[in-house]
Amino acid sequence: MTQGNVKLERSPYPYTGQVVIERAATQPNVCDARVKIELRNLGLYYENFKALEDINLHIMCNSITAIIGPSGCGKSTALRSLNRMNELIEGARVEGKVIMDGENIYERDYRVVRLRKRVGMVFQRPNPFPKSIYDNIAFGPRLFGVRERNILDCIIEESLRRAALWDEVKDKLRDSALTLSGGQQQRLCIARVLSVQPEVILLDEPCAALDPIATQRIEDLLSELKNEYTIVTVTHNMQQAARISDFTAFFMIENQGEPGRIVEFGETSKIFTNPDDERTEEYITGRFG
Amino acid sequence: MKAGRADRIATIVFWSIGLVSMAILAFIILEIFGRGLVTAVSPSFFAGQPATNQAGGGVGPMIVSSLYLAALTMLISLPVSIGAAIYMAEYAREGKFNNFIRFCLDSLATLPSIVFGIFGLTLFVVTFKWSYCLLAGAFTLALLNLPILLRGAEESIKQVPQTYREASMSLGANRWITIKKVVLPSAMPGVITGTVLPIGRIMGEAAAVIYTTGLFIRAIPLSPFDPAAPLAGYIWYAQTEATVPDYRQIVNGGAAILLILVFLINFSARRFARFYAKRKQLEVKL
Repeated sequence: MTQGNVKLERSPYPYTGQVVIERAATQPNVCDARVKIELRNLGLYYENFKALEDINLHIMCNSITAIIGPSGCGKSTALRSLNRMNELIEGARVEGKVIMDGENIYERDYRVVRLRKRVGMVFQRPNPFPKSIYDNIAFGPRLFGVRERNILDCIIEESLRRAALWDEVKDKLRDSALTLSGGQQQRLCIARVLSVQPEVILLDEPCAALDPIATQRIEDLLSELKNEYTIVTVTHNMQQAARISDFTAFFMIENQGEPGRIVEFGETSKIFTNPDDERTEEYITGRFG
Repeated sequence: MKAGRADRIATIVFWSIGLVSMAILAFIILEIFGRGLVTAVSPSFFAGQPATNQAGGGVGPMIVSSLYLAALTMLISLPVSIGAAIYMAEYAREGKFNNFIRFCLDSLATLPSIVFGIFGLTLFVVTFKWSYCLLAGAFTLALLNLPILLRGAEESIKQVPQTYREASMSLGANRWITIKKVVLPSAMPGVITGTVLPIGRIMGEAAAVIYTTGLFIRAIPLSPFDPAAPLAGYIWYAQTEATVPDYRQIVNGGAAILLILVFLINFSARRFARFYAKRKQLEVKL
């Protein structure tokens, strides 16, 4: 580790207990492989209802993958299968594989806690805890055993800076997170995810409850964050998908009661200008959904 | 026009019903205070020792008994009911078994308190050979209270938004940490205010304590194994059994004190819940 390339981070990565190296500015967190997550024949049931079938998807490192499709087509379900949040729903069952960095996350001995630390999630409605701004972000690091005040301070500043919220809240870290505006709350939730230093960030319609200006800020933020993280976002907003994403997956259900499937997956520019499938074109031009 | 009149009539009717119920409460309070407040606030009564056969006895040990009993009962029933509520709300799967538990609890809640009294007498007083004492009363009342406390706590826990749990779990917290760090702190104000009603019931309970704690004492109870005479039971005793000439005064004064105690506890529990919520920066309506 030469000093020229790599600068020491102020906050040591607490989770390994060793002083770790800042991601060099010149070489942002490039994964070993281009493919970060691979969904292989993923299917998902709720009790007897099949919500997803035959999902095959490659999620690339340092890119934004958008999942689009009409309501009820399983977009959120697919997203939640990437950090096993679907397991919180009684009766949910998965078949097929989700392979992250070469490991199937549905393997019996794969530890969910480790997975959720690596794959963070931002929800549709901003959901900060009814705690202070500080405690909201400290929640994750504390889970993993960080107690020292100065380390926590560092993590909190760093996370808020990365989420472009620091300047707005630095003087009121002890205030309740619920006093923030919706857009600020959502950025706080992003900061909360960043605090545990994930590799992948999942966003479930993160702007659905926000006004256009707040939406713009989140979009800018995501475009910035993709240099260091792999991002997957579900969105209802076609323009948003076109603006910020590198890859787009179009989900659909053929008929009521059938499982959601992927109609088309590819580079966003192609999906939006020259899709292979007729249904994709119909959807993005607003003829249904 | 017709709809407008019906609406006006409905407004007046419901408004009057509300007013009547308020008037009834006010009447009861005024009546009790009118008869007993003068006695209740005299130190020789609320701090004095009870007499056996002459006038002028007080209810000091009885007040202590009531408060002691309420505290002991809560100490026993709160942890159990919160624990069970966590199980019911967070761990148990909704289904036949959970519904069966709820059915049992509701049945328990509707049992007459005298039945609990007799049960406490046979189990704690006789079988366990504790004889009449605070602890026997506290366990009996804990049983009586358990269903209400539990259902209250369960409701408070269920009212914690699912999004908090999702946020916590998505950060890598397991279920227990989520409950401990996120769910319980948010549910606590509700749980605290949910204890107010049961405390009132404990303080007012006569039937269940008559056979478990005792009816008449002269010394202030110190140990949980000391016999006691909670105020509500003593009021009943003074009215029906006592040999003192001023029993009417004792009954009226005792009732007024009981009312004041219940109001005080109610008020301070709410204040505490609000204070707690504020300190924890929760948004709750109380």
